[in-house]
Amino acid sequence: MKKIYFLITQLLFLQATSSFGQDAVAKGKELFGDLRARHIGPALMSGRISDLELHPTNDRIILAGTAGGGVWKSTNGGATFNSIFDDYCQSIGAVEIDPSNPDNVIWVGTGETWTRNSVSIGDGLYKTVDGGSNWVKMGFDKSERIAGVQVNPKNPDEVYVAVLGPLWSDSEERGLYKTMDGGKTWNKILYVNQTTGCSDLTLDPKDPNIVYATFWDFRRQPWAFRSGGENSGLYKSTDAGKTFNKIHNGFPKGKLGRMAIAVAPSNSKILYTVIESEQDKDKGLYRSDDAGASWKQLNNDFGIVVRPFYFSRIEVDPRNPEVVVKAGLLGSISRDGGKTFKNLGPNHSDVHDIVFDIHNSDHLYAATDGGIYRSWDGGTTLEIVENMPVCQFYHVSVDNEEPYNVYGGLQDNGCWFGPSQSPGGVEAKDWRRVGFGDGYRVYPHPTKKLIYSEMQGAENVWRFDPAKDQAKTIQPLAGAGETDAKHKLRFNWNAAMAISVHKPDRFYMGSQFVHRSEDMGETWTKISPDLTTNDPNKQNQENSGGLSKDNSGAENHCTVFTIAESPLDENIIWAGTDDGNLQLTKDGGKTWTNVIANVPGLPKSTMVYHIEASVFGKGNAYAVFTGYQIGDKNTYVYKTTDFGTTWKSIATPDIYGFARNIQEDYANENLLFLGTEFGLYVTLNGGGSWYKFTNNMPAANVHFIELHKKTNDLVIATHGRGIIIIDDISPLRQLTEEAMNKDLFFFTTKPTHISETNGFGGASTETQFVGENPSTAARIIYYLKKRHTLGKMTMEIQDATGNKVMELTPGKSKGINVVEWNYNIKPPKVATGKTFSFGGFTSQRVPAGTYKVVIQKGKDTYTNNLVIEYDPKSEVPLADRKLQEETTKKLYNMSQELAYMVYEIDETVKYAEGVKSKNAAAAKSITPLITELTKLKETLVVMKGDNYVGAAEPQLREKLSDLYSKVASSYYKPNTAELGNLQALETRFNNSKTEFKKIKDKELKKLTSLLTPENKFGSVPMKSYDEYIKEP
Amino acid sequence: MKNKLLLVLIAFVGSHVAQAQTVDEIISKYFENTGGIDKWKSLQNMKMTATGKQGALEFPMTIVQLKDGRQMSAVTFQGKVIKQGVYDGSTLWSHNFTNMKAEKSDAEATENYKQDIGEFPDPFLNYKERGLKAELIGKEKIDGTETFKIKLTKKPIKVDGTPTDNVVFYYFDAENFVPIMTESEIKSGPAKGQISQNKMSDYQEASGLMFPFSFAQGLKGQPSGFSMTASKVEVNVKVDDKDFAFPTEN
Repeated sequence: MKKIYFLITQLLFLQATSSFGQDAVAKGKELFGDLRARHIGPALMSGRISDLELHPTNDRIILAGTAGGGVWKSTNGGATFNSIFDDYCQSIGAVEIDPSNPDNVIWVGTGETWTRNSVSIGDGLYKTVDGGSNWVKMGFDKSERIAGVQVNPKNPDEVYVAVLGPLWSDSEERGLYKTMDGGKTWNKILYVNQTTGCSDLTLDPKDPNIVYATFWDFRRQPWAFRSGGENSGLYKSTDAGKTFNKIHNGFPKGKLGRMAIAVAPSNSKILYTVIESEQDKDKGLYRSDDAGASWKQLNNDFGIVVRPFYFSRIEVDPRNPEVVVKAGLLGSISRDGGKTFKNLGPNHSDVHDIVFDIHNSDHLYAATDGGIYRSWDGGTTLEIVENMPVCQFYHVSVDNEEPYNVYGGLQDNGCWFGPSQSPGGVEAKDWRRVGFGDGYRVYPHPTKKLIYSEMQGAENVWRFDPAKDQAKTIQPLAGAGETDAKHKLRFNWNAAMAISVHKPDRFYMGSQFVHRSEDMGETWTKISPDLTTNDPNKQNQENSGGLSKDNSGAENHCTVFTIAESPLDENIIWAGTDDGNLQLTKDGGKTWTNVIANVPGLPKSTMVYHIEASVFGKGNAYAVFTGYQIGDKNTYVYKTTDFGTTWKSIATPDIYGFARNIQEDYANENLLFLGTEFGLYVTLNGGGSWYKFTNNMPAANVHFIELHKKTNDLVIATHGRGIIIIDDISPLRQLTEEAMNKDLFFFTTKPTHISETNGFGGASTETQFVGENPSTAARIIYYLKKRHTLGKMTMEIQDATGNKVMELTPGKSKGINVVEWNYNIKPPKVATGKTFSFGGFTSQRVPAGTYKVVIQKGKDTYTNNLVIEYDPKSEVPLADRKLQEETTKKLYNMSQELAYMVYEIDETVKYAEGVKSKNAAAAKSITPLITELTKLKETLVVMKGDNYVGAAEPQLREKLSDLYSKVASSYYKPNTAELGNLQALETRFNNSKTEFKKIKDKELKKLTSLLTPENKFGSVPMKSYDEYIKEP
Repeated sequence: MKNKLLLVLIAFVGSHVAQAQTVDEIISKYFENTGGIDKWKSLQNMKMTATGKQGALEFPMTIVQLKDGRQMSAVTFQGKVIKQGVYDGSTLWSHNFTNMKAEKSDAEATENYKQDIGEFPDPFLNYKERGLKAELIGKEKIDGTETFKIKLTKKPIKVDGTPTDNVVFYYFDAENFVPIMTESEIKSGPAKGQISQNKMSDYQEASGLMFPFSFAQGLKGQPSGFSMTASKVEVNVKVDDKDFAFPTEN
C-alpha cells in the first residue's frame, strides 16, 4: 500500500516536551532478532582514515575509507558522516566515485595499503550502483589490499584496479587490472612479480587513455619489514593499458621503494612523484613537466621522505599545478611547485591523504590517524569531524562500578576509559585519557580505584590514580647484572598484561618472560624462563624497514603476547607467545610446559593470540591463534579440557576470517563468543556451529571481547568501530533446541528494577557523536519460530488481578524478540482546551509487583510473568513511594474526572446550541445554561493562546497537569509544597464540581424538558465516564 | 467470510515451493494474494483508523488517502486534532505543534510530494506506466525471514535545490508475497543520510483486500520509535473536501 505520510520528528518533539560465512550470517539473522548491539564510540579522537574521495560536482558529498571502520559518507559538506558499508570488510584501501554517474556508482577496494604492523586485511572489490544502499562483490577475493580504482570518465564500464596484494606472503594476484564491462570480467594488464604490487594509480584527467601506475616491492614479517627492491617502478601507458613503459628518466639508480604518482588536473603535463630510494639524498619529491619523459628532484625534506610505507600520497590543487600536498607525519604543502614545503597546521599526526574541495582550494580535508580534519584556510587551521567513532581498540576491560566503565588502548590514540552509559548518552566529555602513544591494554585494579595502562612496547606502563590525577611508571626493567643482550627484555608492541581474580594487587606482564608483581607493579619477579623460541633471526629489528630504516619497536618479536591465570586456581597460568609457543604452569611458575605440539592441525610458529582460561574446569581453556602474519589466514580456535594435553578445534566453516579472541559465557559452557577479522560469531553448542551476529554489529575487526559478570553485557573492542556492547546476553543461555521448536517461547527473565533517574541529559552539540545508552526499560523477551505477518497479534500487560494496565506493540520477528516497557501506563485523559497541557503527557509508573505479559497471536494465547522491583540501591523508603504513588494516582484520576467534566460541558453546550438553532422559542430558556457552562469552562481549561509564549493564564487543567507531572516524574514522596498545592486544587476542583452540579440542577432541566420530535431523548446524549475514559 | 483472503493466502503459502522469481511475478503475486489487481485498481480512496504509539503515549490517528493524490493524517492529542501531511490538491500542509495553526510545507517538499501523486493505492500498481522502475536486487533476511528485496526507483526529487534520486527498497516476504518492510535514505533534516525503516505486519482483510494493520517505524540499527496499529480500514468512503483544504482562517 501507499506509504503513510507521517512526521515522526514531530512526535518526538511532542514527547520531549511533555516530560523528560553467509550461512552463518543468515542463521544469525534468523536467531538474534531484536538482540542488538549499541555503539559507544568514542569519536573524540576518531581513528585512522585511509582514503578520501570527493564527488566531482557536488561539494556536499565526501566519501572516506577508513583503516578499520568501513566507508563513511557525508552529504553535508563534511559536517557529519554516516557509515555506508557496515556489512562488509571494514579495512579500506581505495574509494572511487564513478565520475560519469557520481550519485550512484561507487567502487570500494578493501584492504588498507598503509601497511603498519597492525594493519587489517581486505577481501576484494565492491561496487554499488545506488549510492551505497546495496553492494556487490566484484571479485579480487584474494587481493588482500587494493591501492586504487580508476574509472574512465567517458566510459563507466572501463575501470582499472591497482592490486597491491598480500602484505605477508607472495601472490600472483598483484598487479594492475582492467575491465571493459563494468567489472564482470577482468584482465591483468600489468604484472611484475609475486612480491611487487601496484601501489598507486591515476589516469590523465584530460586523456583517459594515459595511465600511470607505481609498483612497490615490499614484504612484512612479524619481526621485520622490507620496503623496496629491484622491481619497484613507475609505469605509463598511452594506449589505455595495452602497453606500459617505465618512466624513470631522472630517477635515482638502484633499488626503489614505495612511490606515489599525481597528475596536475589543470595541466596534465605536470606530474609529481615521491620516491623512496637507496640513498637518502636521492629520496623525495620529483617533478616532470613533460608528462613523465624526464624527472627532476625538488625536495627531500623530512616531511616528504618520512616512513614511505605509511605515508605516500600526493595531491595537486585542481586549479593550480604549483600547489601540491604530500601526506606525512604532519602533512606538507608546497605553493611553489614542490620546491619548498611547510607543514599543515596543528592536526592529528600521521596524515594519509589530503584532498582539495572541488570549488575552493582554501578548503581542504586531511585523513589522519585521528580522523578527518577540515580546513577553510588552506591547511593552516584544521578542525576534526566529530561524529566518526572509527577508533581502533586493541583491547578492552571492564570494572565493577555501576554503571561500569570500559578501558582500552587505541592505535596512535593512547589509552582511555569511559562509562558504559551516561546521562544523555556516552559523550566525548565522558572519556578520560590514561596513557599516551599507541595505547594497548588497560586494566582497572580489581578492588582499588587505580588503573594500569601502557604505551607501545611497554615503553611506559603506568599505574594511574584518576582521583589524584597521578601516574606512576611501573614496567619491568632489566635489573642489576642484567644489562647484557641476553637479559634485554623483549616486549611485544602490544605487550601482554594480566590481572588476577585471586589476588587483587597481583599484576602480570609478559616480555620473553612472565613477570609477576604482588604489589601493583612496585616490584617484579620473573616467574618463567624465556618462553619464546628466542630465534635470533627474528630479533634484528634495527635493520628492519628496507630502503628506509624503521625500528619503531612495532616489529619486536619472540615475546609473550597473552597471559591467562586460571580463575579457579592461581597457580595455573597460561602464556602464549607471538612466535608460536603455548606454555602452561600448574605450580605458579616454577615449571612450565610447552603444549603447542599437542594442538592438531596448527602450523608451526603460528602466533598465540589469546588464551581464555575457563571457569568450568581447571584444565579447561580455549586458545585462539593467528597465522595471517606468516601468510596463513585460516581460523584457529581450540579447546582443551586436560591442561593442554589434547586440543579440539572448534572452528567450523561457518566462520569467515581468522579469529583473534574468544570469550566464554560464565553460566553456559556451550555459549561462546568469537571475534574475527570480519565480525562477531556466537555458538550455542560449544563450537559445533556458529552464528554471525549482525544486528547493528558491523563486520568489524574484533580484537577483544569481555563479558561483564554482573550485567552479562558483552563488551567488544573493535579495531575500527570503537567499543560495541550487546546488553545482557543471558537470554542466549536459555536457547535450547526444544525452546526453538516452540511457536513462541518466553525467556525467563530476572526481576527487573525501575531505574530511578530523571536527569537533564547531556551536553553534546549537533555534529558530535553520542554513544547509545542501554535501555532502562523492562525487557519482555520471547522467541518466535516464524515471523508474524498474517493476522492479528497483540500484547498487553496485566496486573496481579488480571486488569489490563498497558498495551504494547509486540515484536514480530522470527528469532528473539525484545519488547521494552518503560514501566509506564498511558498518560491520563486530559480535558480538551485550546492548547495542550504538556504536564498531561506525563505517564504514571506502575508500582513494583508481579505483572503478567499476555500475547494474543491469532487464536493462541501466551503468557509470562514479569516481576518489577524498586531500585534496590534507592534510599527512598517504601512509605514515601506509596505516598508518591497514591498522590500520583489521585492527580491522575482528578485529571480524568476533569476531562470528563469538560466533555460533559462541551457536549451539553453543543447540544443546547443545536436545539437553540432549531427552536428560537427555547433560546431564552437555554441561553443561561450555555452562558453558565461556558463561564465555568473558562475556569477549568484555557480557551485561548498557543503552546508557546502566547500561552493564556493557566486554569485548573493546567495547574492540575503541572502538579501531576511533577509528582509522577519524581521518585521521592511529594514535598510539602506539592501536597499543599494538591489541597488547593482539590478545593478548587470541588468548588467547580459544586458549581457544575448547581448549573445542571438549575439550568439543564430547561433543556431536557424541551422534548420535541428532534429532542426525543429526554436527556443530552452522553457517553458514560467509563466509555469516555476507555476511548483511545 | 471475513477472513477468506487470509485463508487463501495461508493455503497459498502452504503449497508454495520456492522458485526463482522475477520482479513482476512477485508484484503480480502480491496483488493476486491481497485481493486481485482489479479490486486494487477500483479503489477510489482508503481510510485507516488507528492508534499510534510512541513510548507510553497513545493517540488516535486517522489516515485518508485518495486516488486524486489528496491525503490527510490526523492525530488527536488531548482532544485536539493535529493534521500532518495534508494535501488538498495544490497545497501540502501540516499543523504546527506549537501554535497549532496550519502551515504550508516548503515549496520543494510540495513539489516532491506532487511527483508521487498517482501512487495510490499502491506504488507498484501500474508502476511502469507511471515511469517507475522496479528491480529485484536479491533475497535478504528481514526480521529473520526470507524476503525479496525490490528496489523501486521513482522520479528524482529535489533536496535543497539539488536533484536527488528517489529510491525505496521494498522487502516482500518470500512466503506470503507481501511487503514486510520498506527502507529509504532520509534526504533532509537532522537524520539526513540515515536509513529509515518501516515494518509492516498483521495483514488482515478489509473490504476484500489485505492490508497491513501494524506498522513500526524507526531508523536502521535502532529500535523502532513509533508504531501504529489499525483498528479499521475502509475503502471508497465518502470524504469531505473540507478535511483536506488548507484552512482559510490562516
